[in-house]
Amino acid sequence: MKIDLGLVSKVAALASLELTDAERSAMAEQLTRIVDHFDALRDIPDELLAGEETPRAMPLRADAVDACLPVAVVEANAPEFAHGHFVVPRVVTRD
Amino acid sequence: MTTFSPAALLEGSFVALAEAVCSGRVTARAIAEESLARVAKAQRDFGAFLSTDPAATLREAEAVDRRVGAGERLSLAGVPLAVKDNINVAGRPSTAGSKILAGFVSADHATCVARLVDAGAVVVGKTNCDEFGMGSSNENSAYGPVRNPWDPARVPGGSSGGSAAAVAARAVPLSIGTDTGGSVRQPAALCGLVGWKPTYGRVSRYGLIAFASSFDQAGALTRSVEEGARAFAVMAGADPKDATSLTTPVPDVGAAAWARLDGKRIGLLAEAASAEGGLHEDVKASFEKAAETLRAAGATVTTVSVPRVPFAVPVYYLTATAEASSNLARFDGVRYGTRKGEGSLAALYRRTRSEGFGPEVKRRILLGTFALSSGYHDAYYGRAQKVRALLARDFAAAFRHVDAILCPTSPEPAFALGAKTGDPLAMYLADVFTVPPSLAGLPAVSVPSGFSRDGLPIGMQFIGPGDAEPLLFALARVLEDASGVLSRRAPGAVS
Repeated sequence: MKIDLGLVSKVAALASLELTDAERSAMAEQLTRIVDHFDALRDIPDELLAGEETPRAMPLRADAVDACLPVAVVEANAPEFAHGHFVVPRVVTRD
Repeated sequence: MTTFSPAALLEGSFVALAEAVCSGRVTARAIAEESLARVAKAQRDFGAFLSTDPAATLREAEAVDRRVGAGERLSLAGVPLAVKDNINVAGRPSTAGSKILAGFVSADHATCVARLVDAGAVVVGKTNCDEFGMGSSNENSAYGPVRNPWDPARVPGGSSGGSAAAVAARAVPLSIGTDTGGSVRQPAALCGLVGWKPTYGRVSRYGLIAFASSFDQAGALTRSVEEGARAFAVMAGADPKDATSLTTPVPDVGAAAWARLDGKRIGLLAEAASAEGGLHEDVKASFEKAAETLRAAGATVTTVSVPRVPFAVPVYYLTATAEASSNLARFDGVRYGTRKGEGSLAALYRRTRSEGFGPEVKRRILLGTFALSSGYHDAYYGRAQKVRALLARDFAAAFRHVDAILCPTSPEPAFALGAKTGDPLAMYLADVFTVPPSLAGLPAVSVPSGFSRDGLPIGMQFIGPGDAEPLLFALARVLEDASGVLSRRAPGAVS
């Protein structure tokens, strides 16, 4: 299938990525070629695909509070940290 | 006469090295000093390492000497260990080969690292890799490519290319990497090494920087099968920090448990001959020779079909990228790593990710996001998941007729740097033989089977049903003995 510039832009927005025009063009061309190749999966008859989808069950753990990293260790890796919190741009405004 | 100089011990098996440290004939510190000097040369010549901390390495080696002095018998006493940079080592940087994690320092050890260190291994450096483990040539690192010690004009394979080059260059005898779709086995094959991925869940994923969680596994690269099996014995085991960790007993890969080959049924993968992208003539010849070697060793060798193998690359690159698009959403410039941009929070996310991720990571995030997106999910991600399950059933059916499957690890020996960088699809097809067992969660071992006419290593891969590691190591040793690889030194190896 054709992955056009509009579809690349839409997917990039979903993935929180900004692309330059050159990147967008290259991705459209490359992803079209890749997805065209992957369309070979359509050649497998549907009747063969019935049955269990997940090869193995995913175990669940108890929903319980566990030990976590010391704040100082977290702070050391944070781009911006103050008063025990990660600093981010203002997300709530008065108006 | 046995020599116990650090240089001589680093040229041999780490089994003998650990024994020499345990018996007091050499210190772990002296071994570490020699290894650190070689690491610097491997970095200079091949770009194999991203970071070292010599002072910490020497302190840790001295700690091993104290443990040995106190009477501890450590199976990896003083063994220099290189760790792929997407695996956490406490107090060391972990960039995963990405700019977006520049400056990140790991808070604790990955479980597999903790187990190796507890057994006496000494971390000497973090190795270069394709960014977030995404690549088959180690040309996707934000910090430059890695070169192959057998021919520096060629790639070492990927994504654990630095880990492979470090061992092939004889800077260390043991390295670990992550294997999502072949990232330990393929560089092992291209660098003349043994590389394995375990049965899914057998080695903890705790402390691995996630790429595709239903595939990611830690594995090891060594020069010999015996060393690979010893690393497996140390790294494998249940871990409460990884919900997917297996809690069943670890299969015994000790030498005494290695099965004789008489009566073992080996299936040559029928689909290997018609692999998309072609099979290099020298690899084909080595495959045929490997079959003869196994027959001569007493195995029954037949051909077996796993019919959906030709679909494995599309299935892998749709499902693994979908998982990556989710896993890599955490890199947003807020909690760790690089932060770029200003203005709104959404703008900060976009700018951080756009400047922090390299082209291949962006391509895979876009592909995975596309495969999961409304209107395309059923036709791509959903269908790929169904084919993945069908492929697992294909393998189960094949293992009713054979005990293990043999195929080349890579369709060609190491290719030239830059040969595939302009064609992502051609690069993906390099994984044609390594992704099938990854999709089915099966164990696989790559072992050197010989050399091309150009003198480049060729690797063969044994695939088995879950928990078949003892048989796979036994089979690998037969090919290792016949290949003569242990008597050959990469031309670029350091000393």
